[in-house]
Amino acid sequence: MSGVVRKTGGRRLPAASPSLVVGLVITAIFVAMALVSLVWTPYEPTALNILNKLEAPSLAHPLGTDFFGRDVLSQIMAGAQVSIVVAVVAVLVGAGIGVPLGALAAARGGLVDDVVMRSTDLAFAFPALLTAVIITALAGPGAVNAIVAIGIFNIPVFARLTRGAALGLWKRDFVLAARCAGKSDLAITIEHVLPNCTAVLVVQATIQFALAIVAEAGLSYVGLGVQPPQPSWGKMLFDAQTYIYTAPWLAIFPGLAITIAVLGLNLLGDGLRDALDPKVRRAR
Amino acid sequence: MSRYLLGRTIALVLTALAASLVVFVAMAVLPGDPAAIILGTGARPDTLAALRAEMGLDQPVAWRYLEWIGGFLVGDLGTSYTYSVPVADLVAQRAAVSLPLAVLALVLSTLIAIPVGVYAASRRGRAGDVATMGVAQVGVAVPNFWLGLMLVILFALTLGWLPASGFPGWEAGLLAGLEALILPALALALPQAAILARVTRSSVIETLGEDFIRTARAKGLSGEAALWRHAVPNALIPVVTIMGLQFSFLLAGTIIIENVFTLPGLGRLVFQAIAQRDLITVQSLVTLLAISVIVVNFLVDLAYAALDPRLSRGGAR
Amino acid sequence: MSRLLEIENLRVEIPALTGAAPILEGVDIGLDRGEKLGIVGESGCGKSMTALAIMGLLPGAARATGAIRLDGRDLLATSEREMQGIRGRRIAMVFQEPMTALNPVKTIGAQIAESLILHLRLPKAQAAERARALLDRVGLPGPRFSLDLYPHQLSGGQRQRVVIAIALACGPDVLIADEPTTALDVTIQAQILDLLEDLVAEMGMALVLITHDLGVVEETCERMMVMYAGRVVESGRTADVFAHMAHPYTRGLFAASPRSALLTSAREPSGRKRRLAAIPGQVPDPRARPPGCAFAPRCPRAQDDCRAAPPPLAPLGAPGRADHAAACLHPHPPSGMAGDVAASAEGAR
Ligand SMILES: Nc1ncnc2c1ncn2[C@@H]1O[C@H](COP(=O)(O)OP(=O)(O)OP(=O)(O)O)[C@@H](O)[C@H]1O
Ligand code: SF4
Ligand SMILES: [Mg+2]
Repeated sequence: MSGVVRKTGGRRLPAASPSLVVGLVITAIFVAMALVSLVWTPYEPTALNILNKLEAPSLAHPLGTDFFGRDVLSQIMAGAQVSIVVAVVAVLVGAGIGVPLGALAAARGGLVDDVVMRSTDLAFAFPALLTAVIITALAGPGAVNAIVAIGIFNIPVFARLTRGAALGLWKRDFVLAARCAGKSDLAITIEHVLPNCTAVLVVQATIQFALAIVAEAGLSYVGLGVQPPQPSWGKMLFDAQTYIYTAPWLAIFPGLAITIAVLGLNLLGDGLRDALDPKVRRAR
Repeated sequence: MSRYLLGRTIALVLTALAASLVVFVAMAVLPGDPAAIILGTGARPDTLAALRAEMGLDQPVAWRYLEWIGGFLVGDLGTSYTYSVPVADLVAQRAAVSLPLAVLALVLSTLIAIPVGVYAASRRGRAGDVATMGVAQVGVAVPNFWLGLMLVILFALTLGWLPASGFPGWEAGLLAGLEALILPALALALPQAAILARVTRSSVIETLGEDFIRTARAKGLSGEAALWRHAVPNALIPVVTIMGLQFSFLLAGTIIIENVFTLPGLGRLVFQAIAQRDLITVQSLVTLLAISVIVVNFLVDLAYAALDPRLSRGGAR
Repeated sequence: MSRLLEIENLRVEIPALTGAAPILEGVDIGLDRGEKLGIVGESGCGKSMTALAIMGLLPGAARATGAIRLDGRDLLATSEREMQGIRGRRIAMVFQEPMTALNPVKTIGAQIAESLILHLRLPKAQAAERARALLDRVGLPGPRFSLDLYPHQLSGGQRQRVVIAIALACGPDVLIADEPTTALDVTIQAQILDLLEDLVAEMGMALVLITHDLGVVEETCERMMVMYAGRVVESGRTADVFAHMAHPYTRGLFAASPRSALLTSAREPSGRKRRLAAIPGQVPDPRARPPGCAFAPRCPRAQDDCRAAPPPLAPLGAPGRADHAAACLHPHPPSGMAGDVAASAEGAR
């Protein structure tokens, strides 16, 4: 509400919304956890200790131990690494190819635009996660294939978004002015169009990041993500399923980790959108 | 209207053909000779050649595509390499599990999401809105396969109300079949419902601000009646689009959820076919799924037009 | 006997948005059966708020105090449930924007029949019959204008006719028309106004006509009110007000109206179409109203005492014109009108 009444004297930073703050904090914790796990975890995440297997949560093992006596908390911390790396690279791949495609479609229009748009239509016909499963299954499990499989489906998302945002910008006066000044389409795209798309792209990137985390967990859950011994949240869930009668906590904590990480990113995305797009804020 | 329909239908067919082509090419460039895979490493070259001929693998690629897609048109999806039965039969068998699962999930998610979204919109900014949308925010973040595990722990292991996994087959009776599907359907439906509820809420809020709501109130309708009779029908038009998009998510979701609950559906079939390098089954199945997504989106467009008289009825002026 | 509609000292505020500053203050209105009252004023002066206050449909955060009595019963003290029985039944409203006032996914027949079913408890078939008759009456005869049409299949003027049919469905005692023609073409405007006048006469309703257009008020309404910045600044019998515009704002409005242009010369000597004399400045925001007379910053007659306290609406005391009142410390003295205003319009340019 306060954002509505306040007079706009120049471009001021909007007040941080609760979703933005909470989202930032959760995301920061999630990243920090992955970083800390590089140098320290309570136990060696992969260390086997059959004597302590399937222990319920306790002071020594706050989240319990798994069938091999590995510490669940340590595994979750180390699992964050995989989630982040796979998701970040997958989103970068998607944006790296999708954004130029979308910008090209908007700049050139006509046939180029049609081809790009129809291709994205086509890509959306394939259920993303299912196709990712098939790609990794056929190409062989592993982190790199998982990244490719998830990244492919980020391409059309970024292509469409960029095209949509860029199309509007191409009609704006400052772009027309640049055109009259004889600048090339490429130069205009780099200097004027893309910088003005960053806000929507950043928001979308956080959302795709969250989706990629879920996709990676899904792939690992069916055994197609990163391979053991590297811990990953999805793989932990798969393993936990066998002991769901005897050690249900094994299934609870990795899923909670996924949920909280995704929640944080979604909140961050919502918060960024509200902060960057005054139109949306007013409509609330 | 009929021109609109014709245009959309042509686009539908072209997209479906393009999708099949993409799948075919992707499978064709994949390393590995299906015949060699079937016969194993020690196969004699002449047996191999014979099998290749029998499978039509010695034909030119373009011809193989035409044969395959031509078969599609008459319901022939090829013959499974591993089971030596028509892929169509395998698919039909498994679809009897996956399709009801996806539909049940869609119905559940809609039945949950729309009342919740409308309720939140009607209490905009108040405790009821904040609470339900808080839950929805979390719901969006929950991965469905984990939710499935949690539902198993709660309803199957702790309360013992429903089976934890497996599918008795529809022969065992409608009720037994539904019982086996209810937890997986919920696991799929709840996160989707969270998304749908958020969309519904913002759509209803937008509609409540429209002038015609004021007209309705000025007639003497209560706020409640104006909400349900005037705001909701308008607000649901965009919601239908999202429901169409969700079908694709649900299809993809079923394949992982079927693993959680060991259901003999299309998802399991995909996994088995891949594990056994039954490539023709994979190829036909993926194409079929893509086509069904395309068809559903087409149907959604039609539903959209039917719901919105501005699209279905031309101007009479 | 009490008047049909009586508003006393109406004050509306939206504390969250405007602080203590009210959107409406000290508004008094009296309306008898079958009477036609015009309310004029620039955009943002509170005309629609007055209408919505009567309907009990003010935006959520708004608070109204004072009294709005319908046949002696205070609507501000009436429960929402009972208000629902009054809205559409005894008081009905026609809105400014016909393009958006109708629900796009419901047929016009259903939208007209809705209040018949709600208030008169008519069975569906009978409600449809009545809806048909109403459509015929507002100038949309069947079979060309079927009940099954959707709003998008009609033009703006035709839609406004549907809105009018909805308002009239249950034969209300009071019809509030909030700028019913602002959004329409000039030729259509006249038709819609004629239709409204005919219907009001035929059904014996009282009419509150809100408009920007002084000419429309002069033609249509026996009595009129001029509003400025949430207050009534001049009111009286239309003939009296036109005979002697006492408040400088009323004169400004008149000078800015197309009719005053007709009274002087339609064209400038150069042959270009004459521009209307706009009142310089604009309506102050409710949050930033000057302490005294809200018109003072724009008023050619303003003096120091004007800025002390808002002048009350006081009878001008002219013989035989008991109703004529203005809220001004230095009202224009009675004198010949047209030339006078035209002169001040020239001066303003
Ligand atoms: N929903 C609202 N919330 C807060 N303030 C409002 C709202 N609607 C109107 N206002 C304010 O109330 C004042 C009166 O508005 P109102 O709509 O009554 O003007 P009006 O005379 O009908 O103008 P117009 O000729 O443009 O219809 C304006 O200053 C406006 O800014
Ligand atoms: S009170 Fe003063 S400022 Fe206000 S209208 Fe009259 S003369 Fe003008
Ligand atoms: Mg108004």
